[in-house]
Amino acid sequence: MTTTAFPRVLPLRIRPALALAAVASALIATAMALVWAPTDAVQGDVQRIMYVHVPSAWTAYLAFLVVFVASVGWLWSRRPVFDAVAVASAEIGVLFTGLALVSGSLWAKPTWGVWWTWEPRLLTTAVMFVMYVGYLLLRSLSHDVARRATRAAVVGIVAVVNVPIVHLSVTWMNALHQLPTVLRPGGPALDDRMLATLLLGVAAFTLVYAWLLATRAALERARQDRWLALG
Amino acid sequence: MIRRAWLVALRETRADRRHPDGIVAGITFMAALVLLESVVVGPQVARDATVAAALYWIALLFAAMVTAARSFERELEDDALEAVIALPGGRDALYAGKLVALAGTLAVVAAVGGVLQIGLLDLDVPLAGHLVAAAALGVLGLPAVVVLDVALTLRLRARAALVPILALPVLMPQLIAATNASAAALAGEGPTSLAWSALLLAMAVVYGAIGLTIVPTAIE
Repeated sequence: MTTTAFPRVLPLRIRPALALAAVASALIATAMALVWAPTDAVQGDVQRIMYVHVPSAWTAYLAFLVVFVASVGWLWSRRPVFDAVAVASAEIGVLFTGLALVSGSLWAKPTWGVWWTWEPRLLTTAVMFVMYVGYLLLRSLSHDVARRATRAAVVGIVAVVNVPIVHLSVTWMNALHQLPTVLRPGGPALDDRMLATLLLGVAAFTLVYAWLLATRAALERARQDRWLALG
Repeated sequence: MIRRAWLVALRETRADRRHPDGIVAGITFMAALVLLESVVVGPQVARDATVAAALYWIALLFAAMVTAARSFERELEDDALEAVIALPGGRDALYAGKLVALAGTLAVVAAVGGVLQIGLLDLDVPLAGHLVAAAALGVLGLPAVVVLDVALTLRLRARAALVPILALPVLMPQLIAATNASAAALAGEGPTSLAWSALLLAMAVVYGAIGLTIVPTAIE
């Protein structure tokens, strides 16, 4: 495996600031979601699940795109930092995909009447979840750092195809899941206060993701160094 | 590269002829699955066009994994893999050659399994040509993903569990398209079958292109 003097994932001084920003924005977003945002006229308070569900899904997409970029980076340069970022991002992506599935299920029961239905968005999200669990499983079964990184990078590149499929599945097929309300032609179809709360939620989740990514990737870099030292 | 890939495919075919354990395992596995699935859901349900097509493709997919794994195991047992990889462009050639050879083997497995299922379940086949086209195009898409995943997990002890975990989600669109194309052919819906078959062709091209692009880094 190549050893390089490539910079650490994020300087140690930035991570506490990132953590602070993540916690602060998450607290403000929570208050806005529970108090400031208006109650939905049709669904009532249960619609507030959206402020967790949508940012979770967004964060999962972002995480898997980062896995893709880091995987390409590893295959291109063999710099260990890329593999560290890839595994960190994949773990966080699986976590947030799980959160999106669970929050979606909790939202579906009172609105659709079922916890789960065979619907394109749900199905493709579940498939994406399984693929990245497979990615993590593949990593866990090898102790050779370079080989493991290469195998995982190939899967990380192939699996990213799921991200656009999941996002566009509701427009390609007849779906029970609602169509995009923010990223849609003609602008967001959402009350201004709901939209502001949702966007702050997305920003908060993104900051939480960035903090988790920096922390986990730094841990992975330390592990890589230890393995390399052990030979 | 094409010449080397062709040589690998020829060598695979020759090895299959001398020791047909891979193809025999694939056919036996497929037959066992078709029988088992049909018994579990019941012959009446299994005769439904969509159910019959779905059972067929699930069985063929698992047979493809068994056959591909056997092909690489033979290389490992004979220490032949390192020699092929050591050649310039060896990984590309190995992947492409395995792809062609596995497609050929699967065509035989698919044909035997198909005849078996049609005979056992007494299925009506109003559009035999469409069914053959769907089967042929469906078989084309499977090896690209299956060979890639077997190659990725080649030296891992948990390969038997990992290959399905990695391959099944990627092949889900392929499985849906192949099932719909075959079911439409069994139900006598020609245009629908052809539309799904065209999608199968597109998938085979995409899977093959992705495999050929990234595979040199995957085979160890």
